[in-house]
Amino acid sequence: MFDTAIWKKTWGDQRVLVLSLVALWSAFPWIYIWLSAQIPMPAFQDVLLRAIPQDWQRLSGVPFSEVATHAGRVALAFVDPVVVLAATVFGITRGSDAVSGQLERGTMEMILAQPVNRVAVFLSQALATLAAAALLAAVLFAAAASAVALGPWAGKVDPLRFLPAACNVFGLIVCMAGISACVSAADSYRWRTIGIMCGFYVFAILAKLVGRLSTPLAWCGYLSVLNAYEPQRLVGDPATSWRLLLGYDGVLLGIGLAAYAAGAWIFAKRDLPAPL
Amino acid sequence: MTTLVETRDLTKRYGDFTALDGCSCGVREGEIFGLLGPNGAGKTTLLRLLLGFIRPTSGSARVAGFDCVAESLMVRTHTAYLPGEARLFRRMNGFQTLDFFSGLRPHCRRDRAAEVARRLDLDCSRQVARMSTGMRQKLALAVVLATEAALTILDEPTANLDPTARAEVLGLVREAQAAGRTVIFSSHVLSEVETTCDRVAIVRAGRLVHEQSIADLRRSHRITARLAGAWDAIPAELEAHATLVSRHDGRVVLESGDSLAPLLGWLATLPLDEVQIEPVGLGGVYDRFHRPVS
Repeated sequence: MFDTAIWKKTWGDQRVLVLSLVALWSAFPWIYIWLSAQIPMPAFQDVLLRAIPQDWQRLSGVPFSEVATHAGRVALAFVDPVVVLAATVFGITRGSDAVSGQLERGTMEMILAQPVNRVAVFLSQALATLAAAALLAAVLFAAAASAVALGPWAGKVDPLRFLPAACNVFGLIVCMAGISACVSAADSYRWRTIGIMCGFYVFAILAKLVGRLSTPLAWCGYLSVLNAYEPQRLVGDPATSWRLLLGYDGVLLGIGLAAYAAGAWIFAKRDLPAPL
Repeated sequence: MTTLVETRDLTKRYGDFTALDGCSCGVREGEIFGLLGPNGAGKTTLLRLLLGFIRPTSGSARVAGFDCVAESLMVRTHTAYLPGEARLFRRMNGFQTLDFFSGLRPHCRRDRAAEVARRLDLDCSRQVARMSTGMRQKLALAVVLATEAALTILDEPTANLDPTARAEVLGLVREAQAAGRTVIFSSHVLSEVETTCDRVAIVRAGRLVHEQSIADLRRSHRITARLAGAWDAIPAELEAHATLVSRHDGRVVLESGDSLAPLLGWLATLPLDEVQIEPVGLGGVYDRFHRPVS
């Protein structure tokens, strides 16, 4: 169920994307914390606690009083589009390439002409993507922790408090990659797989926002996988954070891994069209 | 001789469209088996069914004794396949491509692949993305022809190749046969099939319509003549040796199935002018099914 040659090839395929994200996520927490530190804490608290309607707390997922702390402000980096979109794009990009990407390029034919199991091809790619996801989350954590420990807010927050948030980023990547790989396994065109996943992501955002903003429609939140992506809630008390993470990543990793398993099954059973 | 590939009533339908219809054939161990037919006739569908890329609607196929659906992995262990349009990884160079495929196939001889590439005059240091279509075809051929599998399936192997490379590929195919391997050779180039294959099958509209050994084909002749008098039916004792292909506009076309000798005496008694006797050739057989004489 594992093939070293496919694993190595997948790393080669994703090398540029991974290195780009490593560079981005290595620098981003430093830049973010430096920029945040330009606004002194009293001024930030004044704006957040007095100028913004308190109803808007629903959107942040945590009380503004928690956001208006050093840990809370650093945690916002994990919900910044630079992190969330990059994690989602990485997951969709790698997941969509698994089957439909290679069918579209016509390269799957030569691979499957070799004595290699389809499930092994699929899972070897999946493992390379999961390893890359773990690497990216580790880089993000290392960058955030080092920026907290050595940056303008040195000594004000325990850097280890951001580890659960980084684990939540890992869960988001695995979830998006798994669902994308599952769609890819049933599809023959990568552009269509990406389109379906973009629609899925937009739906997830809208369902989460509607669920947050409307009490009668609060159930909509449960339709969104992004409901389990709440890194800003994972920087408080460590015991509580790890317990919350278990639930969030349980959902994200559970969906992601189940989607990978379903994708492997679909890929093993389906007809493979001739390259176009 | 043992049968290495065997299909029984193999059928593949896509909705209302039948891509392959009740195909039953066998490929003997050690032979080069030609597969002929126009585009869309069902040749590639047959090959993809053998490799387990698609599942048959009905019927079965076995390669080296292994079922092509249930034991596809074992089938592919015993098979090397060159797709009709081989697409390789654009970011790799030729050497990396050979390394990759060597890694996927246990006991694959990487040095042999490099040797085949050298014989095809291929620069393996070049990135695939920068290779011409012909160069990519050569690279794919190096991957496939270096594989020491019992069965080699080549789907239009000489497409996009220059004449020198074509000749080299045909030589490599014969070498594979000399080494005891079986080859299925699908092509549109009749002359290549005729000079390379031992046996040929013709596919039309999803059906296998004709199978013939090339040796029999070489014994067959076509006799074309202008009738200068009345035509009599072929005598009963010669019916096993000759077939009337057509008779219209005062011209008659006959084909001899084997030796020409028994017919010559009878032909001499007929009122014929402008008699032409020529080998039937694969083109003649192919035309019989794809461009039937009216």
